Amino acid sequence: MIRHLFTLMWNRKRANGLLVLEILLAFVVLFGVSSLGVYLWRNYRAPLGFAYEQVWNVSLNPGGQPSRGEMLGSLQQIIQHLKATPGVAGVARSEGNTPFAFASNNGDLSAGEGARKRVCDVANYFDSSAELRAVMGLQMKAGRWFDRRDEAANSRAVVITEALRDALFAPGESPLGQVIQGPKDWKEVWKVVGVSGPYRTDGELAAPKPGVFLFVGPQDTTHALATLLVRVQPGSGAALEKKISDDIRANGPTWSSTITPLANQRRVQFKQVLTPPVIMGVVSVFLLINVALGLFGVLWLNISQRRGELGVRRAMGATAGAISGQVLGEILVLTTFGLALGLLVAMQFPLLGVLDVPTGVYLTAMGMAAAGLYLLAVGCALYPSRLAAGIQPAVALREE
Amino acid sequence: MQTSAAPVLQLTDIEKIYQTKTIETVALHRINLTIGRGEFVSIMGPSGCGKSTLLSLMGLLDEPTHGTVAVDGRPVQSYSDKELAGLRNLKIGFVFQSYHLINDLAVLDNVELPLLYRPGLGSKERRQRALAALDKVGLSARTNHFPSQLSGGQRQRVAIARALAGAPEIILADEPTGNLDSVMGEEIMDLLLGLNREHGTTIVMVTHDEQQALKTQRLIRLFDGSQVG
Ligand SMILES: Nc1ncnc2c1ncn2[C@@H]1O[C@H](COP(=O)(O)OP(=O)(O)OP(=O)(O)O)[C@@H](O)[C@H]1O
Ligand SMILES: [Mg+2]
Repeated sequence: MIRHLFTLMWNRKRANGLLVLEILLAFVVLFGVSSLGVYLWRNYRAPLGFAYEQVWNVSLNPGGQPSRGEMLGSLQQIIQHLKATPGVAGVARSEGNTPFAFASNNGDLSAGEGARKRVCDVANYFDSSAELRAVMGLQMKAGRWFDRRDEAANSRAVVITEALRDALFAPGESPLGQVIQGPKDWKEVWKVVGVSGPYRTDGELAAPKPGVFLFVGPQDTTHALATLLVRVQPGSGAALEKKISDDIRANGPTWSSTITPLANQRRVQFKQVLTPPVIMGVVSVFLLINVALGLFGVLWLNISQRRGELGVRRAMGATAGAISGQVLGEILVLTTFGLALGLLVAMQFPLLGVLDVPTGVYLTAMGMAAAGLYLLAVGCALYPSRLAAGIQPAVALREE
Repeated sequence: MQTSAAPVLQLTDIEKIYQTKTIETVALHRINLTIGRGEFVSIMGPSGCGKSTLLSLMGLLDEPTHGTVAVDGRPVQSYSDKELAGLRNLKIGFVFQSYHLINDLAVLDNVELPLLYRPGLGSKERRQRALAALDKVGLSARTNHFPSQLSGGQRQRVAIARALAGAPEIILADEPTGNLDSVMGEEIMDLLLGLNREHGTTIVMVTHDEQQALKTQRLIRLFDGSQVG
């Protein structure tokens, strides 16, 4: 029976080619949507590595043009004041690339020399004070976080994330105490003191990136770090916000601040990042509906054009089930053909690596798109196949 | 078996009315017919008198408006769709007046068709049987042609081969020699007579040829939907 089906379909290759094309189109759309969906979902499911609730971003603006020394002085005053404010649980200094801020600061990194040299092309740099770990609730995996010892050290203390460790060091090799090299024009020597969990400031929907924390001591004037991350007590609200803002202004007449809870920034970022994929998804759904209607139409037409043939089969002893089975079988074979072509196309993405997306995402997406494709094809063929099964031989043969 | 005593086909009080929007055509009226096992019956009558309609009722391709068709003594209404399909497949070989070959299949595949719906038949055996049937109608050399590449007479012979391939108990043939020259017509007629004589195949044949009708055991004449002799 299967060989018979193949023979028949081969003999009808022109009509079937059109169907295969339609199916291929459906697969490409399904694959695109699935890839995007799987990519975003995987990112979303990966741990953020920090706790954003009850943390406020306080961006300071010194106003005017104070010298670095003056600026640091004011900053220290502000921080001291903040720390003493009731309702504030902790204050950390950071560059502007705080969580959900749509700001990033990245570059390459390497470890080792000569043949043993390993490179990480893109890692996020986080200039941060010793308080960052406690304020953000970062997880340590090995070694230690920054402390007073690092203020006096003649090399700069850094903490790397596990992802960066995996990129720069061989499995089993301890990065602790090792030196890593930042961009060439930076003359600093970076010494690893600890390994931390992730710190995904780009947000849940962005792909996790390796990161490195660079220690900034309280007396460090080279890195001003005018963004503060402030952990507040649960339930703190507008009153505390106003008090912080007023206190900052009181510290220096030109100073001002913008205070935003990270949870708010997260919501804004989520919406912005998700908007294009959602639009794409909606467009794809419409495209798929069109393709499905087309498929349904072609199949229906197919059946009405083949009433004679199906009538003959009924007359020769095919059961109604055999007829609908044949129609479904044909569409499944065609779907498999379309799928094979589609997979050839889809395979180019991981093979050529055009987009920086892990192969696993593509593979999962291929599986999902394939399942969706069969569902779509069977869904479109169900009614026509029932129609075919209902053909009365005498009636159909009379029409020929 | 008890059923073997019953006639192969029994038509009782058959009425077939074709209802279209504008007119009602009485194609068959009060037909009572019994076809015994191993009989060779011919049906004659003017065009439009209902011969093909009668044959398609016998072939279980259509249902009468009134009356019953019984196969082996059992009324067709009592069969399920699956059983009916089984009867059409195993018991009956049908030669259509207008052949009804599947244009997208080669001759050999067309002839194999009834065997395809017979469970437990290997592809090799199907092929052998189909080739043997084609050989009987003298078309061994055309197995890979498509119906569109054949003459009318050749198509008719393919249709006959298809009916023979399943070795059915009953052959219902609607003007099987209508498109054949007299020599070829004779050969087909001899083929049918041989099947009837040697294998006891029951045959009902519609024909316009008095000479052929004379060679059969019984002649049924239809006129305007009614039996006249
Ligand atoms: N599906 C149908 N709808 C309406 N009328 C029909 C239908 N099929 C057959 N008829 C009518 O029934 C009558 C008998 O038709 P049938 O095909 O049985 O004749 P026939 O004896 O086989 O004729 P011929 O010798 O020309 O083949 C005709 O008048 C025909 O018009
Ligand atoms: Mg006729």
